[in-house]
Amino acid sequence: MLEFVNAGLAYGARQILHGIDLIVVPGERYGLLGSSGAGKSSLLRMAAGLTAPASGTCVNRYRYPALLFQEPRLLPWRRVRENIEIPLLAMGLSKKEAHERSRHWIHKVDLENASEAWPGELSGGMAQRAALARAFALHPDLLLLDEPFSALDPALRASLSGLCTAYVQASGAALICSSHHPAELVRMVDHCLLIQDGRLHRYDIDPHDAGATPARIAGLLHERLTEQQEARPDSHP
Amino acid sequence: MSIGQNGFSVFGGVAAANRGARHERDNPATAAQAMSGHKTSRLWSLIGMLLILLAWHATAKVMGSMMMATPLETLQAVPRLLGSAHFMEHAGASLMRIAIGVSTGCAVGFALGVVAGHSAQLRGLLEPLRWLLMSIPPVIVVVLAMLWFGLGSPMVIFMTVLMMAPGMYVNTVKGMLHIDSQLAEMTRVYRFGFWRRLRHLYLPALTAPLTAALLIATCGGVRLVVMAEVLGAESGAGYALANARSTFDTAELYAWVLLILLLVAMLEFMLLQPLQRRLGKWKEPSHA
Repeated sequence: MLEFVNAGLAYGARQILHGIDLIVVPGERYGLLGSSGAGKSSLLRMAAGLTAPASGTCVNRYRYPALLFQEPRLLPWRRVRENIEIPLLAMGLSKKEAHERSRHWIHKVDLENASEAWPGELSGGMAQRAALARAFALHPDLLLLDEPFSALDPALRASLSGLCTAYVQASGAALICSSHHPAELVRMVDHCLLIQDGRLHRYDIDPHDAGATPARIAGLLHERLTEQQEARPDSHP
Repeated sequence: MSIGQNGFSVFGGVAAANRGARHERDNPATAAQAMSGHKTSRLWSLIGMLLILLAWHATAKVMGSMMMATPLETLQAVPRLLGSAHFMEHAGASLMRIAIGVSTGCAVGFALGVVAGHSAQLRGLLEPLRWLLMSIPPVIVVVLAMLWFGLGSPMVIFMTVLMMAPGMYVNTVKGMLHIDSQLAEMTRVYRFGFWRRLRHLYLPALTAPLTAALLIATCGGVRLVVMAEVLGAESGAGYALANARSTFDTAELYAWVLLILLLVAMLEFMLLQPLQRRLGKWKEPSHA
């Protein structure tokens, strides 16, 4: 279980997040939205244990959390296969197990031909697929996605999002995924979280409730995001 | 020295190196130009060596064989020296001191550099010592070490360690401060332990500054050991060199110098440069 209790975060005098209360239990899928600089990455970094909250608490009891960054962050001096195997070895798997798991996930993300390539030889999409394989190979019980597909073309974005959804559904892992695209996000998740003025607003999606269908929620979130964007002082010349 | 030239330029970080590699692949013409600018010409190195030999020969002819042996006389003295009874004893003593002194100095400098790379307080604490050791003339350290340890191996090794460690420390700290913070974060997310981080993040990221520092330390270490042996040892190449000077055996003296130069060349071209090429393999695309 991942639990934020009245968590806040500040960079110097600038308050990024405050009063965050959230409990993420296994199998729950959350989408995280907010304008640029709203604090989406900060929230995910707190969940991954990279940043400690300035106030309140953030407790992560998941055994194998994985955070997929905006950039692939592959070790450039290790081959693609090694990039996937090293975290598995760090997790305590034997070399043989790590090799088998990496081979399985390299196949899943369709990178068989590039498994012995250096990360510098991969295209942006291939590198992000390798990063996805590295995260999935851990068999994470909490998957944190920090706009990992934002730089990819829509077709690849849809395909990798589909892979994430399939993994989460099959494994029962919890998911928090941040994105700039409400329409794409609502297809992946059950709940949407919008960060506005450092606070978290929750929108639950219910396909049977006419007022909370994915399309309605996506439209509502799109409106809120546009309002946020327009309200930003630097959005006006 | 090609490694020394680009040793500090890599401090822009791994990300920059990666970007550079991508850029070169995308622009073969630019890559070719860059290669021709950075790669040391072997032909011109050969010409440079011939010029040195020519100048050496001319100077020896002018000064006379008592003062300076010609290259030919030196070459003729080498087999005689190699066959002499004391050669192995002196060469072995020097090699042992070089190996222990340089490896310990580099290990201490590297270990302190890795720790200091994480701690501004430790960097501040070590800065005066670093400055002191890098500023003090090595000959003063030899004299002091002779007072403390007397003549022999402990003195030579002590001063080599003391003189080698700061160079390695400075390069390691600078490299550590430029390690890609995003990769460091990734290793935290995926729970790499210290040794795994050292092996898969720090050492590869520090390849360029470390190999440059290792090259400087090895070549400098040989020079320091020989100097310390000349001043205060009863065995070793430096001691034999001082002996040859005192008996006016100029050809043997130059033969020792030639063998020391050969040792440095072997260490650089047969050990350090292949090591650097192996560690930097990831920068060269393996397929188009």
